Parts: sequence; structure tokens; C-alpha cells
Amino acid sequence: MIPFKRYGSFENMAIDEALFRSHQQGGKFPVLRLYGWKRPAVSLGYFQDVEEEIDCAYCRGRGIDVVRRPTGGKAVLHGDDLTYSLVARENTPPFSSDVVETYRIISGCIIRGLAKSGIEVQMVEEGRGTTGSAGSFCFATSYKNELLAGGRKICGSAQVRARGVFLQHGSVLIDLDPLAVCAAIGKTDNGGKTQEIEAAVTSVREVIGGDIGIDDLCRGIAAGFEEVLHIRLVDEGLSPEEEALKGRLLEEKYVRDEWNRKGRGSGRGY
Amino acid sequence: MSFPDDLIYSSEHTWARIDGDVATVGITDYAQDKLDEILSVELFPVDSSVEQGEPFGVIESVKVTTELISPVSGEIISVNDDLADDVGILNSDAYDTGWMVAVELRDLGELDSLMDAEAYADYIEANEEAD
Repeated sequence: MIPFKRYGSFENMAIDEALFRSHQQGGKFPVLRLYGWKRPAVSLGYFQDVEEEIDCAYCRGRGIDVVRRPTGGKAVLHGDDLTYSLVARENTPPFSSDVVETYRIISGCIIRGLAKSGIEVQMVEEGRGTTGSAGSFCFATSYKNELLAGGRKICGSAQVRARGVFLQHGSVLIDLDPLAVCAAIGKTDNGGKTQEIEAAVTSVREVIGGDIGIDDLCRGIAAGFEEVLHIRLVDEGLSPEEEALKGRLLEEKYVRDEWNRKGRGSGRGY
Repeated sequence: MSFPDDLIYSSEHTWARIDGDVATVGITDYAQDKLDEILSVELFPVDSSVEQGEPFGVIESVKVTTELISPVSGEIISVNDDLADDVGILNSDAYDTGWMVAVELRDLGELDSLMDAEAYADYIEANEEAD
């Protein structure tokens, strides 16, 4: 496990891809990473069109980074959230080649972990629901096995698989600012978009009616993984090889507009 | 779930239809079913070189984003542009209008490593049992 720390947006994605790629070269143990964001950022899914999904001028004006994830899915506004990444071989227990089953297992760990902080959440049992035009925002759409509190989404996730390894990203919303979300995803609130988001999304702060320390939240989630999977998490950092790979990915990919704006830019997969 | 007899299959759930030294390539009915609703696909462009067992694109569904692994080696000579207009044909017609790329084959011998329909069906069954 790589313990909680806040990084810049580009570095966060470079670290996760370095872990993902490194695992493809023979990583043995699954790696759970908990992290935050030094300043607000919107992360886009691999296939999202930045011009269609994001109000770039708003983000630039507010100092909000825009970074593209290696995972798919929709846009997430980071800052008031706890983000996790999990890298593991897809066919090594407890995980399997079945994507939905893997989501279910990880969701079970998060449920147990959040319960330790007094946050009761449930898995989405069936299908998905979207809240109209706010649908480019990750939290406005709930897929099977994602997490709701009181019927509203509190944790979104997305997964990428390559060469027998998966990387799952997830974001537990600690606080929600619907106006900022609407502005960042380019939906000015002239059509009740903030109400749509408020109706579909909740946050840790709203559920528990107050603040919670990030360390407590992280401890709970780590314990959730340990208890559900019957494992012991050991704190580690990146290996020297992973650090070097992170540096290359940061410089050659994640700080560059070719990736963050245009995406799909390499045209050569991962 | 269907696995047409005139195709050959890879363990990465892609198929190839061989016509002389050109292979048309796509994903299998099993793959599209497992992916569920497909949302986007990105394919390497014409003139790209691909290797057997290596990526030739990326695909995203409501469940996951994943690499597309080529069943053959060679040079991409054609890409199915219709997928840009309607990626849903990958779900509805994976073996025909849902083809992805055509590859000019570099090594016909490597086709021996692919499976016929019966072997692929057995492979799927074994995989399902393992899960």
C-alpha cells in the first residue's frame, strides 16, 4: 500500500500509470494507493473530448488543472475527494478476469472501510441511471456495483485492463460543490443542473453531517480492504524503477497538451 | 453466442478472417458480450505496423477500458471508418459490419497458433469455469 499523500494532478496520473505498467512486467502483489490533489483538478476519461466536456476557460481562470486519466469513464472534479488506485493481476485471486466481479470485490472493501467512519453505503444493484445533461460528470451516472449513500452516488470508479493487469481508479467524494462541478464541466446553471447533481450525488460531509479527518478516512478504507480480502497491507513507496518510469511518463505524457487536451494522441494504446 | 467456422480466434478474444495474405480482424461475440455496451474505440491508423499478441487499439465500454490485442502481425491497410459513426455495431454485428482493421500479413505461419471455432469455444468454456 502506498499511503495517503497529496500530489499535483499530472504527477498523480504518472504515478498510477507507472504502477500499472510496472505490474505488467511481473508485479507480484496488488498495490493500493490512497491520495489527494495539491490543487483542484478535473480528470477526464481516456476517450473524453476535452472541448465537449470541460469549460477550459473556467478551469484555467480558477487554477484548476485538466488531466487525462489512463482509465476510461467520465470527468471527475478533484480536490474535495479521496482518490484511490488499485493495481493487480486480473486473474489472480481474489480478483478475476470478470470485470463486474472485480468491481464488486473492490466495492465491498470500500463499503466496509467507509462504515468504519460511520458512512453507510450500498452497491448499485442493477443497470445505470444518468441525470440528463450533467451526464458527462462521473458522479451523475451510477453503474452496477458503484456506491450510493441514501440512493445518491458517493464513490465513482473506472477501470483499465492491459496485458493481464488492471488499474482501477476510484474517488470518494468528501465534499460537493455543485456549482463548481457545473462550471467545470461547462454546464452553466440555467437549466437546473446543480439541482440535478445535488439529487444524484452526496458526500461524506453530508452523510455524517460534519468533517472527518483524511487520516481517519484512509485508515478505515485500508482496514476495509484488509478485513474483506483477509490480507495485511504493508506500507511501501515506489521502487527506483517505478520512480524513473513515473518521471518519464510525467515529462513525456502527463504534462503535455497532446495527451491532456487531445488524448488518444499516441494512437498506440498504452 | 456464435463462433463462425470460417474465422480463426486468439486467446485475447479477437478473430481473423483470412483472404490470401490479408486478415480482417475484429472482436468476438464473447468479447462484446463481456464488455457490455461499447462506447468508444480507437484503432491504430492505416500504415501502422502491428504484432501478434500486441495492441492494435483501445476500446471502452460501460464497464472497462482495455487494449485490443492483434491476432496477427503485419501492416494495417484499412480501418473500418463506420465505427466512428456507430460504435454500437461492435455489439450488434461483431463478425461482419463490426470488423475493425484489415492487416496485410507478414507471417502466414503464425496463423497456426490461432484457434478454430471449436477450440475457441472450448477455451471460453474453460475460462468461464476457472472464474
